[in-house]
Amino acid sequence: MYPQSFEYVAPRTLKEAVEFLRKHEGEAKILAGGQSLIPILKMRFASFGYLVDIGGLQDLHYIKRDRDSIRIGSLARTSEIEESQDIRMNALMLAEAASQVADSQVRNMGTVGGNCVHGDPGNDLPSVMLALDAIYKVTGPSGTRDIPASEFYVDSYSTGLGEAEILTEIVIPVIQHGSGGAYIKQRRRAGDFSIAAVAAFVSINESGNCGVARLAVTSIGPINFRSKKAEEFLTGKKLSDQNIATAAQLLVDSVEPVADPYGSVEFKKEILRLVGIEALSKATDRALGV
Amino acid sequence: MSTIEEIVQGKGKFVDDIVLPGMQHMSVIRSNYSRGKILGISGGYTFKDFPAYMSSVGEGASEGEKNMREPVLADKYVNYIGEPVAAVLGKNRYEAEDLSEKVEIEIEPLTPMMDPEKSIDAPPVYPYMKSNIYKKVTLGRDFRTDGFEVEIEGHFNNRRVATNPIEPRGIVAAYEDNQLTVWISTQSVHSIKEGLSEVLSMPEDNIRVIQADTGGAFGLKGGLYSEYALAAFLAKKTGKPVKWIESRREHLMASRPGRGTSAFVKLYANRSGRILGMKGKVIVDSGAYSGGSGEFAARFVGMQMTGPYKIENAYVEAYPVFTNKVVQGPYRGAGRPEAHFFIERMIDMLADKLKMDPVDVRLINTVNSEFKSPLGMDVPPAKEFLEEAISKLNYRKLYKEKPGFAFFVLVPAFQPGETARIKIENNEVKVWLGGNTHGQRHDIFVKTLVNEGLGINRDLVHLQLGDTSMLKSGIGSWGSRSAMVGGMAVHEACKKIKQAFIAKNGIYSADALLKEGADEFVHWRGEGTMNSLGCNLVTCEVNDRGQVKVKECAAYYDVGRALSPEVVRGQVSGGMAQGIGQTLYEEIMYSDDGQLLTASIADAGVPIASQLPEYKVLLSNTRSNLATGAKGVGESPTIGVPIALSRAIENVTGVKITETPIRQELLLRSMKH
Repeated sequence: MYPQSFEYVAPRTLKEAVEFLRKHEGEAKILAGGQSLIPILKMRFASFGYLVDIGGLQDLHYIKRDRDSIRIGSLARTSEIEESQDIRMNALMLAEAASQVADSQVRNMGTVGGNCVHGDPGNDLPSVMLALDAIYKVTGPSGTRDIPASEFYVDSYSTGLGEAEILTEIVIPVIQHGSGGAYIKQRRRAGDFSIAAVAAFVSINESGNCGVARLAVTSIGPINFRSKKAEEFLTGKKLSDQNIATAAQLLVDSVEPVADPYGSVEFKKEILRLVGIEALSKATDRALGV
Repeated sequence: MSTIEEIVQGKGKFVDDIVLPGMQHMSVIRSNYSRGKILGISGGYTFKDFPAYMSSVGEGASEGEKNMREPVLADKYVNYIGEPVAAVLGKNRYEAEDLSEKVEIEIEPLTPMMDPEKSIDAPPVYPYMKSNIYKKVTLGRDFRTDGFEVEIEGHFNNRRVATNPIEPRGIVAAYEDNQLTVWISTQSVHSIKEGLSEVLSMPEDNIRVIQADTGGAFGLKGGLYSEYALAAFLAKKTGKPVKWIESRREHLMASRPGRGTSAFVKLYANRSGRILGMKGKVIVDSGAYSGGSGEFAARFVGMQMTGPYKIENAYVEAYPVFTNKVVQGPYRGAGRPEAHFFIERMIDMLADKLKMDPVDVRLINTVNSEFKSPLGMDVPPAKEFLEEAISKLNYRKLYKEKPGFAFFVLVPAFQPGETARIKIENNEVKVWLGGNTHGQRHDIFVKTLVNEGLGINRDLVHLQLGDTSMLKSGIGSWGSRSAMVGGMAVHEACKKIKQAFIAKNGIYSADALLKEGADEFVHWRGEGTMNSLGCNLVTCEVNDRGQVKVKECAAYYDVGRALSPEVVRGQVSGGMAQGIGQTLYEEIMYSDDGQLLTASIADAGVPIASQLPEYKVLLSNTRSNLATGAKGVGESPTIGVPIALSRAIENVTGVKITETPIRQELLLRSMKH
């Protein structure tokens, strides 16, 4: 439980950090809150020549509200997401998910950026970002670019982020009147990774039917992903109990969970169906202002 | 020892806080296979350097089948995941772990035996054994089963649970001038000394064992482990002190877990609910070597399998069996929770069968006089206590909330008594106990008893950590015994000091005694047993996703006179949390092919505070016949809570509960049907 040796660097600016990453591509790893990296190092699952501690880049540590969006600096802590009034008022499901990440010690250290770029399909926040259609702003040697969350996740621990790039900001559209989201997570115990969790976002159109539906899944499969089939089914339909149940079944039909100590394949599918129904129902209630 | 204030402020002095000049850090290279043949090892200290076998000491120790004793370092074969194969020393833990990665072990995997119930009838894993059974035990007398009106049977399992104290195991060993000095996190410095003496073939007089502040143990730290012998051996071999601190990952694979006991039980009764006979077959998952607590546990579980009930006919066959897992050890309760889970689950099943209230079945089968059960357990008068408990725990009023109820006998480790030394010097009283406090606050009852016995101000009384050079013998702190037997040793030592003072000075004066000084050692030992009774009541909710929320969690225990009511409440609350943990989450799990599936503390399922209820702790302050009035308490909650919670879940969901932990999957699957 003691890591192999590594060099520690703490750049003072984003530019310096990117420059260092470029120079030491393949040997350097960004350290933010350490929520995932520290255990990986301690258990010697991986080792790196350099840890680039970006914790000092205070420019990346904020939560701001614009007219139509919330901008979250990648170094905002999970606990700050959980407690932010701006987020509670305008993207409640994100605060809901943040409050269920690990335990409070981890939430006090872990950053939203780290949670989103690590590529662990058990992480909660990527699903919410998918359901909220967030944009990831990244900075690298050739400047700044936007990556939609929906295009970010490639495979387990593999994302669209370049080796010398740093996630700087996540932009989330404010949840408008007539829309709602919810994050429902099944765990064995508080503090655990989920057995399955679903982030659901729905909007109600003028005819009272579903305008937009986005449904993202945690802990089932190699990445956090959206279920297009379930989303397409709901779009334009009434958000009735029956349609929600059908959508949840479509969600289940599209996955192939892996059995582990937390449960069999059948159990995971059933849990996914139940949390899917619950998340969609809650999101619908919120969209309707119930 | 550090004060509670120092400990909560992070100023405690645990083993890992001990730093000696020139100290080296030991890292242990372990088997990645549950069973295999060692083809080669390159690097590190191995069995060739230290060809020694473990000794069995402390709680639940047994003689152990000689052929099956655990080598300190694996010899030719490995028999469980986590088994020590080699060791290296480094300047610090980083270097030690770096060096351990350089040691190469080549192992040819063999098919492991993972299922204790299959192991009974399987061909022996060790060629020189006749079977995989360490030692069959029978208790009571077999009886004819024709002619009973009602017969029910059940198959139950308490899966293995890691002890998981907040501080894992650890040792510092130093060797100088033929003298081995060891600092250790332990429940019994004397057990460690005895064990090291045997394994190292060193006279006990040349070994001193000193206890460091000990951050919890729950049975884990009562005995000797390979790593301790190894650290001592390497300190002697290299002439420089050696420290070893267990990582949590090592704890989950290589520390001895408890439970791991299953049973087939049959109950014979008449239609009015009177139980006339019980038959049981107990299987203890003893692990890969003898000398753990499996052999003891088989007999001990068997003995308690009629619970507090008057059952005329009882017969138990108990089998400690071999598996390719780390050796089983004691975990808070150590056989008591298992035995009572089996009988209490049967009582609830009998009530269901006869459509009776389970509490009424319990009442029908208890009596108001003490007796020895056919399996050999002393049962105190039970009916009156049970009636009291039903009323104090509000069972009838809470009936609509579908409570689960548990009734049990606590069999503390009353024998063979305990030692204490009281030394009065320089206006101060120092006290040593044979059983070493490891988080329970023995210091409080020691202050109380010295104050009562000698009239000395509590503030002048200081309990010391265990040290074999300060106390010539001692047993250990486990088995719900310390306040009871340790307390009596303190009481007797006070009495002797007072008598000696009066004999010399005529009239007793605490102030004069403090000036004059005294030094008294006592090994107090009582007659027979000091068993007591306890009840638990639990209610819960279960949502449609199979998640359980414990609501009411209450205890009514006969603890005798609570020497420190606050400490007793704390003990019971902590034990209830562990009872909930075992019932809902905790398990050390392997795949069928022998891979360890629970490699993190989260996987192992220790409950966290936000999921735990408020506890209601009610005590019947009935003095025991000891001069101090105390009885046992420590293990009661881990006996009662799993039983009551399992029944509460059964009541709410209709799902039949036969094993712990109760997986969400079972609840979800069965609720649907």
